[in-house]
Amino acid sequence: MSDGPVTERGPIAERGTLAERLARRHEATSDASLAEQGATGTETSPVGDEIDAEDEISPRSEQELVGSGLAFRTRLTVALIAAAVLPLAAFGLLLVFAQRLPDAEATIPRLLLLAIVLAALVAVLVAYLLAAELTGPLRAIAAAVDRVKAGDLSTPIAVAGDDELARLAESHNRLAADLERRNRELGRILAGIIHGSPREGTAWLMGRATTNAREAFGFIDAEILMVDPAGVPAEEVVPGEPRPVRAELRSGDERIGVLLAHLPATRTWERADQDLLEVFAAEVGVSLRNAELFARVEAQNAQLLELDAAKDDFLRGVSHNLQTPLTSIRAYADQLAGQTPDRRLGIIAEQADRLSRMVRQLLTVTRLESGALRPEAEVLAPAARVRRAWEALAVEEIPFRLVDRSQGWLAIADTDQLDQVLWALLDNAVKYGQRGEVDVEIFAEDGRLRLTIADSGPGVPEGDRGQLFARFARGSSQNAEDGSGLGLYVSRELCRAMGGDLVLEPAIRGRGAAFSVYLPAESPLEG
Amino acid sequence: MLSPGSTAPHAQAARILIVDDDPTLRYLLADQLRDDGYEVATARDGLEAIRRLEGGWPDLLIVDMMMPKMDGLTLAREIKNRADLPIIVLSAIDAGDSKADLLDEVAEDYVTKPYHYPELRARINRVLRRLGDRVPRQRLVLGSHLALELHRREAIVAGTAVALTPTESRLLYALAANLGRTVTTETLLARGWAETEDADPSYVWVTMRRLRQKIEADPNHPRHLLTMRGIGYRLVGTDAPSAPDDDSPDESPGDTDERPAPDSGALTRP
Repeated sequence: MSDGPVTERGPIAERGTLAERLARRHEATSDASLAEQGATGTETSPVGDEIDAEDEISPRSEQELVGSGLAFRTRLTVALIAAAVLPLAAFGLLLVFAQRLPDAEATIPRLLLLAIVLAALVAVLVAYLLAAELTGPLRAIAAAVDRVKAGDLSTPIAVAGDDELARLAESHNRLAADLERRNRELGRILAGIIHGSPREGTAWLMGRATTNAREAFGFIDAEILMVDPAGVPAEEVVPGEPRPVRAELRSGDERIGVLLAHLPATRTWERADQDLLEVFAAEVGVSLRNAELFARVEAQNAQLLELDAAKDDFLRGVSHNLQTPLTSIRAYADQLAGQTPDRRLGIIAEQADRLSRMVRQLLTVTRLESGALRPEAEVLAPAARVRRAWEALAVEEIPFRLVDRSQGWLAIADTDQLDQVLWALLDNAVKYGQRGEVDVEIFAEDGRLRLTIADSGPGVPEGDRGQLFARFARGSSQNAEDGSGLGLYVSRELCRAMGGDLVLEPAIRGRGAAFSVYLPAESPLEG
Repeated sequence: MLSPGSTAPHAQAARILIVDDDPTLRYLLADQLRDDGYEVATARDGLEAIRRLEGGWPDLLIVDMMMPKMDGLTLAREIKNRADLPIIVLSAIDAGDSKADLLDEVAEDYVTKPYHYPELRARINRVLRRLGDRVPRQRLVLGSHLALELHRREAIVAGTAVALTPTESRLLYALAANLGRTVTTETLLARGWAETEDADPSYVWVTMRRLRQKIEADPNHPRHLLTMRGIGYRLVGTDAPSAPDDDSPDESPGDTDERPAPDSGALTRP
C-alpha cells in the first residue's frame, strides 16, 4: 500500500513504528471484547486506505485492524533479526567499548555478564512483543470466524495493509459477504417457493419463477423452457458479454425443462452460485410438475363433472322416455275404467305405477351416490301416507291392518321420499309375507314417530340380517324373481336423509319380518 | 299490464294452457281437464305456447319439462318475464333432481310423471286459489330483520338466506298477499295443501310453528308471524315506513304492486 516495499527500510526505523503499533495493538486487544468488536465493526468502513488513515489519526480506535503497512513476512523477518542481531550487535559494541577502557581485564567479564543479561531481557521483550503482534490479527480472524459460525455475516474484519493476514481477512470477508448474499438469495427463493401454489397454473408459476430468479440471483434476464434440456445447446461464454447460466428443472429423475439466464458480465458466478441455482431450479421443477399434475386433476375433475352432468341428462332422458308412455297408459286405463269398469284395467294401471316406481328408485340410487338428495322437511300425518301407499299396491286380497297411536303427532318428512320408503317396505311385506296379514303401527315416542311395518312371513333368516341393507342385497332363501335388491338400501338412505332411520326389528315368535321407520315429529298444537 | 288473475277466477271456468310435445298425453290431459269444466288450450312446444300467449293469457299453464325446441324451464322463464302466470311443471324429474331447484323460481308447483289425475287436479285447484293474490315478485321487506323472496323460496332473516319448503312458501305467499290482515286457518290449509293430502288444521299449526322458528328472531315473542288464536294467522311488517295509522294507505314496505291495499290500517299491529 502506501508504505511501498518495506523490506528496503532500515531495521531501526522499522522498529519504531512496529513498537508503536504493537503497543497500540496490545492495548486494543487486551480490553476489547468480541462483542465490542462486533458492535464497533459495523460502524467502520472496511476499506483499507481509510482505516489506515484513521489508524494514524486516532489511536483510540478500538477497532481491531488486521494487517499493517508492513507485510507480515517483513515484520516477522525484522523481529527475528531484531531478536537475534540486536543483542549480538550490542554485545559487539560493548566489547569494542570495553577494550578501550583502562581496566579492561577486570571489567570485560562483568560487562559481558551485564550484556548477556541485557541481551536476554531484550530477547524476551522482543519475543513477547512479536508474539503479541503476530497473534493479535490471528485472534481477530478467529473471532470473526466465530462470528460467522454464529451466523453474523454482516461484520467484516477491518482490513489494513495487504500482507498475508490482510489477504486472509479479506478472503474471509469475501466469503462472509458471499454467504450473506447467497443467504439472501436463498431467502428470496424460499419466499418464492412458499408463495407459489399449484392452483395458480404453470404459466403463472413460470412467470413467477423467472421473476424470482432475476431478483434472487441478479440476472439480466431469465426464461424457462419446458423442453428436454439436452435439446437446448449451451451458450458460449464470451468475456465482457453477459454470462449465460443454466440449470435443469427436474422432478424426481425426470428432466422437465431448463432455466436459462444471463448474468451481468461484471458478476462472478461460482460453484456455490450454480449449486444454489440448481436447488432453485429443482424446486421450480417440482412446483411446475405439481401444477401440471394439479391442472391434470382439475381437468379430470371437470371431465368427471361433465360426465356426471351427462349422466344426469341421460337418466333424465331415460326417465322422461319411460315415464311419459307410462303416464299415458296409466291415464287411459283410468279413463277407460271410469267408463267400463274392468278389473284388468286396474291391473294395467297398477303395473304401470309399479314400473314407474322402479324407474324412480333407480334414479334415487344414482342420486344417493352423487349425494344430491335434498329432502324437503314438510309436515305430514304418516297414517294417511301409509294408507295411500297400501292402496297404490292394489293387493286387496291381502289383509291389512293400520293402527295409529301417533296421537296426532305429525312427521317432518319429504312426502315424495317417504312414499318411496313406504312403497318399498309394504311391497316387501307383501312379497315375503306369504299372503298373510300386513300390519302397520304408528307410535309417537321421544319426539319422534315410529312406523313399524310387519309381515306374517318366516322373518329374516339370521344369516341375512347383517347385510340386509347392503346394496343389491336379497334374501338368500328367496329366488331372485323380482325386486331390484335396492329397496331396503334406498329406503334406509332416504330415511336418514330425512333425519330419521330405518331399522330391522328383532325377530319375535309369531311375527314375520318387522321394519321400523323413524321420523322427526312435532306435536299437533296450535301456536 | 292487466293480469288475467285480476278477474275473479271463480266467476268463469279457469283457462289452462297445456304445453307438451307428447300428443297422446296432451289430448288425454286436455280431455280430463275439460271433463272437469276447465277451459283448455294446448301447444306442442314452447314457441307455439308463446304465440298462444299473444292471443290471451290463460289462468294457468301446465308445462312439460322436456320438450324439443325450447325446454320447459326456458319456456317458464320466458313466460315469467312477461307476466306472473302460475305454472305447474309436469315432469319425469322428481324433487330430488338437481333441476328441481331451478324450477322453484319459475313454477308454482310441479307434478311428477306419471301423474295421478286426481292429484294433478288438486294441485291445479290449489294454485288457482292464489289467483288474485298480489305479492312482489322480487323482495318483500317486512322489517330490518326479515325480508321474503318467495320466488326463490327464501326468507332473508337478519341478512342470512333461509330456505323455505314449498308449503311454507305457499303459506307465506297467502299471508303476504294479505299483509297485516288475518288469514284464517282454513284458507291457509286450502292454500298450503291439495285436497288429496288429507291435511287438517294441525298441519297449519305445526308448519306455522316451524316457520316461526325459521324467520323470527325470538319465536316465543313473534313480531312478524302472529297467531290469532282460534282464527288464523297474520303476517305484519315491523318498523314500517308507512305510518301506523291509515295515513299512507297503499304501500306495504317493498310492495311494488300498484293495487291499493284495501285495509292497510290493519297493516301494522294486531
